[in-house]
Amino acid sequence: MIDVELHDWIEKSLNESATEEESLALEERLLGDAKARDHYLNAVNLHASLRRRFSAEAEMAFVTPFPTLARRKLGIGLAIAASLALLVGVSSILLKPSSPTAVITHVVGAYGDTGLAYSAGELVEPGHLVVSRGLMRLDFSSGARVTIEGPAQLEVINEKRVVLHRGVVTATIPESAIGFVVDTADAHVVDLGTSFGVSISEEGFTDVCVFDGEVEVSSQETNRADAAPRLLREGQAIRAGVDSNSIDSVAYETVRFENAWPVNSGVLQTTGSMRFVSPGPDFHPGNYADNEHIVVFPERSGFIPDEAIRVDMVDPGQYAKSRYQEKPTLLPEQRLTSYLLQLNAYPAGKNPNQRRSVRGQITFSSPIVGVIMANRLLKESEAVFGIPDVDYPGARMIEARPEGDQRPGFDTVILAADRRTLIIELQENPGHIDQFRVLVEAE
Amino acid sequence: MAAPTPDPSRHEEFVSLYVRHEPAVFSFVLAMVQNTADAEDVVQRASMTMWRCFDQFQPGTNFRNWAFQVAKNTALNHLTKMSRDRHVFSEKLINLLAEQAEARAGYLDSRRRALDSCLEKLPAADHEMVAGCYAEGATIRSFAEQAGETANKIYKRLNRVRSQLQTCIEHQLGLEEEAAR
Repeated sequence: MIDVELHDWIEKSLNESATEEESLALEERLLGDAKARDHYLNAVNLHASLRRRFSAEAEMAFVTPFPTLARRKLGIGLAIAASLALLVGVSSILLKPSSPTAVITHVVGAYGDTGLAYSAGELVEPGHLVVSRGLMRLDFSSGARVTIEGPAQLEVINEKRVVLHRGVVTATIPESAIGFVVDTADAHVVDLGTSFGVSISEEGFTDVCVFDGEVEVSSQETNRADAAPRLLREGQAIRAGVDSNSIDSVAYETVRFENAWPVNSGVLQTTGSMRFVSPGPDFHPGNYADNEHIVVFPERSGFIPDEAIRVDMVDPGQYAKSRYQEKPTLLPEQRLTSYLLQLNAYPAGKNPNQRRSVRGQITFSSPIVGVIMANRLLKESEAVFGIPDVDYPGARMIEARPEGDQRPGFDTVILAADRRTLIIELQENPGHIDQFRVLVEAE
Repeated sequence: MAAPTPDPSRHEEFVSLYVRHEPAVFSFVLAMVQNTADAEDVVQRASMTMWRCFDQFQPGTNFRNWAFQVAKNTALNHLTKMSRDRHVFSEKLINLLAEQAEARAGYLDSRRRALDSCLEKLPAADHEMVAGCYAEGATIRSFAEQAGETANKIYKRLNRVRSQLQTCIEHQLGLEEEAAR
């Protein structure tokens, strides 16, 4: 007999509003009454079915690479399959829910070996991780940040050790994760507080490049006489495995890391004539000649300024000139990371006065909180966010189009509605330097 | 690796079996843990274990029963942990529920299938409320706020609509049985 009381307990249980007493009473009843259990299972079954049916929208996010039609047709089954494949792909043995070994924090077109997209927020447990293409960043519980560029195969051993079987990784290791290890077939790379890149070349050699700080590299063949670890400092590179486990010094060459490195540094994507500065100690503003691109330099990161910072733009829209007094200010309450964007056009070729426009787009991994364009504001903010010992130029000029002006030749900077993307078109002005600063929320 | 990883070529087989039975597993887990967020979590962990141990599953045997077994163990682990903070169902009750859920799995499947046409028959306002309360991340409270109603009123309406859906499902199944005769 299904009475009002039982019905009430079950409803409360489903609504997650049962008190301790009601929960006990429900249990008591279910223990002694098979009919009541039947009724309970039916009620829960309806509840679960409704949940599955109407929560489907969010699950769909997993299937974004599929066209809309296919998505509709295949529906929730595929969505679950996709999310499951993800799960299966990125997890294996340890099922401790307390602290995952790592989390996928950023994904730029990264797909697994089953052709399904990875998704930010997925947990990574020890096991094999295949990235068939694209880029994704793993943040380990130790604090290490590792960006993988596909095609790659990475084996996660624990929060302080990975084995790279194929592909390219760049790593940023904070103090908390000193001792982080990247192993390859030929090299054992131990971090000593730094950022560096490791890649496996097509021929199977291991390349290690230190962007900042120090790492220790040793051969996997430990019984060799010269197996003592080698200390590698910023701006140095080695290649291992060329000749039976030898480790050779090679020229510092960062091309292979130029896709993965920006993701480590909070820049998800650059398109058009925009490029992130090469990783390494010598690449800073004033020391980087590039006539073709808008170059992005990371400045200070995770930094709370001491004073309010005046900026030119805080909201989505197009940059327009404004008076100093009218400029918005950012209060010194938030941890910020700063980037300097630069177009340095110097006279080149037959026609040094030729003016071109350079366009590009950049997407940061965290929201942009302010953009600084005006020379005076750049100077003010340099004192806070500038890299010490770097010579910033005296005068810089981003020239916004005055309202109603139809003439060509102005600079355009648009902060997109996602607050992470800037769309930029700058006019080359030979002999002059265009620079502006972007402040984003620190990760 | 401490345990062998299943043959990757069986991945598709696993996914197809899992997707077919996932709704039943979710429903079963929810009955044991009584909380949607916890149930999602348990199902997710159970699915990992199922894949990891898929080599132990004999093709041709009942995948659902095997999946229920894994889900039950995962849920019991979870409940042991939760029992420090709140009252949870005892292992004795879990075993009774598991036994019954397994025996009635086919019937519960058909109830799930009947739900679709019953939802279609709901008045638009009720349908909207059900969709709103069961949307990802939504709660009765959040929906009530959004709809400008009191949570209590929505509770009552939702309970009434669920009863109507149950009646409709039973009616539907009765009709199907009659049609089958």
